[in-house]
Amino acid sequence: MSAAVRYSLLILVFALVVCAFAVLHLGAAADSEVPHVEFNADNIAPRQIEDLTSKSVPRDYGFAWQTMEQALNENRPGLLDGYFTGLAKQDLGNRVKSQIGSGLHTRYQDRGHKLEAIFYAPAGDAMQLRDHAQFDLQVLDGDKVIYDEPVNAEYIVLMTPGADRWLVRQIQAQQMQASQGEK
Amino acid sequence: MNRLSAILVALVLAVAAQAAEIHPPQQVTAGTSITIPTSGSGEATFYLIGPDVASKKKVQAGSDISVESDSLQLAGRYVAVLCASDGCASSNFFVVPAAPNKLSLLVHPSRVPVGSANGISTVAFVFDNFHNFVLKPEQVKFSILPKDAKEISADRGSQNGVAWVRISSAKKEGPVRIAASIGNANEVRVVQQVAAEACNLRIKASRVKNAFLIETDPVRDCSGNSIPDGTVVSFTKSDSAGKTTVDVPIKRGVAKVEMPIDGRARITVASGVVTGNELDVAGGQPQ
Amino acid sequence: MKRGLPILLGVVTVILIVIAWFQSGGAEAHELQAATTPDQAVRLMLSQVKAHNFDAAYARLANRDDVDKNAFIREFDGSNGSLLTYASMESFDVWGLKTNEQDATVRAKLHYSTAVGPLDDIRDLKVQHTGDTWKVLWPVSKAPKLPPQVIPVNYLRWDVISRGASDDWGVQNVDSPQVRVVSMNAIQRPDSVVLVGEVVNEDSVPAYVNVGATLLDPSGAELAQESSFDKISHILLPKQVSPYRIDFPNMRMEKIKSVRMDTKALLVPASADPVIEVNQQKLETDALGKKVLSGQLLNQSGSVVNIPHVIAAFYDSNGKVIWVSDGYMAQALLPQIPLPFAVDLPPDVAKNVQTYRVVVNHYDSTSQS
Repeated sequence: MSAAVRYSLLILVFALVVCAFAVLHLGAAADSEVPHVEFNADNIAPRQIEDLTSKSVPRDYGFAWQTMEQALNENRPGLLDGYFTGLAKQDLGNRVKSQIGSGLHTRYQDRGHKLEAIFYAPAGDAMQLRDHAQFDLQVLDGDKVIYDEPVNAEYIVLMTPGADRWLVRQIQAQQMQASQGEK
Repeated sequence: MNRLSAILVALVLAVAAQAAEIHPPQQVTAGTSITIPTSGSGEATFYLIGPDVASKKKVQAGSDISVESDSLQLAGRYVAVLCASDGCASSNFFVVPAAPNKLSLLVHPSRVPVGSANGISTVAFVFDNFHNFVLKPEQVKFSILPKDAKEISADRGSQNGVAWVRISSAKKEGPVRIAASIGNANEVRVVQQVAAEACNLRIKASRVKNAFLIETDPVRDCSGNSIPDGTVVSFTKSDSAGKTTVDVPIKRGVAKVEMPIDGRARITVASGVVTGNELDVAGGQPQ
Repeated sequence: MKRGLPILLGVVTVILIVIAWFQSGGAEAHELQAATTPDQAVRLMLSQVKAHNFDAAYARLANRDDVDKNAFIREFDGSNGSLLTYASMESFDVWGLKTNEQDATVRAKLHYSTAVGPLDDIRDLKVQHTGDTWKVLWPVSKAPKLPPQVIPVNYLRWDVISRGASDDWGVQNVDSPQVRVVSMNAIQRPDSVVLVGEVVNEDSVPAYVNVGATLLDPSGAELAQESSFDKISHILLPKQVSPYRIDFPNMRMEKIKSVRMDTKALLVPASADPVIEVNQQKLETDALGKKVLSGQLLNQSGSVVNIPHVIAAFYDSNGKVIWVSDGYMAQALLPQIPLPFAVDLPPDVAKNVQTYRVVVNHYDSTSQS
């Protein structure tokens, strides 16, 4: 076998290894996909929801969860700028900073959201929603898992329109009824 | 005897090996400090994870852990974790909102034409001192404080932390104060009630030097309120020289423009989508 | 061999200089020095203008004694912050209209590249045969000058104090103005779909308005999204109406099921001045045979409007907007001095036009509007 052929084979093998790593890395990145959001606006009042809004609210809420999960996993508060505003952004930012200080991070395995619009302000400048969220939650101290539990939680959410999207302004977990109790 | 000794040693080891446990209260009111009892022994690490906190501190397993009120201001789901050498124990608890004491009051629009039925939307979001949504029903008092009339007020119950009401604007222009109150919170917003569309828009012509002065009567809405200065009135003149248009803002209640007129001309006036009278001018004299 | 390289470099340099000379129109200028025809006289003068060699261009005029040199330069270089001060002449076309032994008329179409896009200026120039050469008889500027005076302006202006960035949500704020699209008409053009219509500011405060549109196919999917860009008067005073036009290039009407209009309005500081009168408006055919709406602008205030922008809406017999044209004026609009304008419209549209309405945008270096 000539030297040229040997070198070509070596380069080919190296390229395959690089591709394999890239595929693995892409696979890891795909973990942070947009969560499934099932939206229901049947009981919304007093303003009727517009067609476009009924599409953009669940879409942007899904993006908000995606960025929040990524921010809490990677301890990157800047990720919250896209879909959070006001106190929600401030509080989640504090949580990330607090995680950085303690050496913790939080990992979500999102299993979907049932989002119900319950109040839409007459002027269209605020929407209140209730979210039944299901996810697996892991808290890690460095690499050590200190908490790992499936969660079935209910959130009251306030979203307000921004320049080109709806933003989460407040997100507050509330205690579920006994029958729906948290696992 | 040997057998008894072996059982005793096994019992002692079993007690010593008892895993640490943590027992936070099931529900805590926002902004109150708590003490969390633990069991077990030896050095351990206590973690508190909440909506805006993720703290970690060394504790002695088996002793009570105090959590300051600063760490428990936000309503929501908290996780308390105690990790000792033999593993971690965890327990969840909820922080619930304190008494209502703050309002975010959204009043729209900030300018409303007079006589708009249900034209003003007023929405109050009810919060506690720490800006948590107070989700249980509360009474919010809405008040209308007109400039020259008596206050009108009504109570509305909140649902999921929101109370709202629609208000009609008055017939007379001017500011109106709209307030909402609960607990120590009393929020006031001012809405400007402005004149509605122009009504009975009329123009007249008079001669000045080499041109005609076309002038509106004082421009008012159908309730007699003056249309605000700056509102555009469009004058259009059609004569043999072609068409002339000019958009003139109302100043001091009227809009006026000077136009040279050759021969016969027709002058029309409009403001927005409202049209006024037509004026025919011929031979330099209004007809 | 030692001498070969310097010689080669020298030859290459000479070739490059010659190419550059040809490229810059030097050959044309040299060739036209003689100006043996009226066209050549105009070409020579415009070549010098294009090269910013105004002295040489001015020297080509037959009536230098009557023409002020600075006024001549201002014709091409602009003044008072006009659009021409942000422009450069890219090229020109010249063709003769009529010629006899002593004088001729030559039409010149000047192509400028400006801050707002290309601008064409068409001029019919008289050319005179003097001695053995032709020279341009430049029209003597008779632009009226306003005598020094004080023009009282009852100044009407809106300023806005908005909620600060650090203020809480839900505190007192001033709302965006209420604006409404009062009409929209979709038209199929040979190479595009065009949306035209009018928008009104229904509020009692000024608004900065932009109209956008999204075309949807039968499945509700977005086909294209465009905005009115500069085919609208963005600043609308209370109750003011502006035409708008949105172009969708390479689009066919058959593909479109519906249109989603999106009107954005911002509360902005604004001034009610200047008031601009648009007079002597008429539809006519211009020198090039195109249908145009022509007229005159008259600035009734005392301040200079640097770049006037005319937007015209054309209506059919049912009062429906069937076309919107616009055009930037090359000259600044001085107080009280009429400035002619003309905007063209497609011939097939022109035959259906019953009436029209003109609004004037004003871009001033001294104001925000």
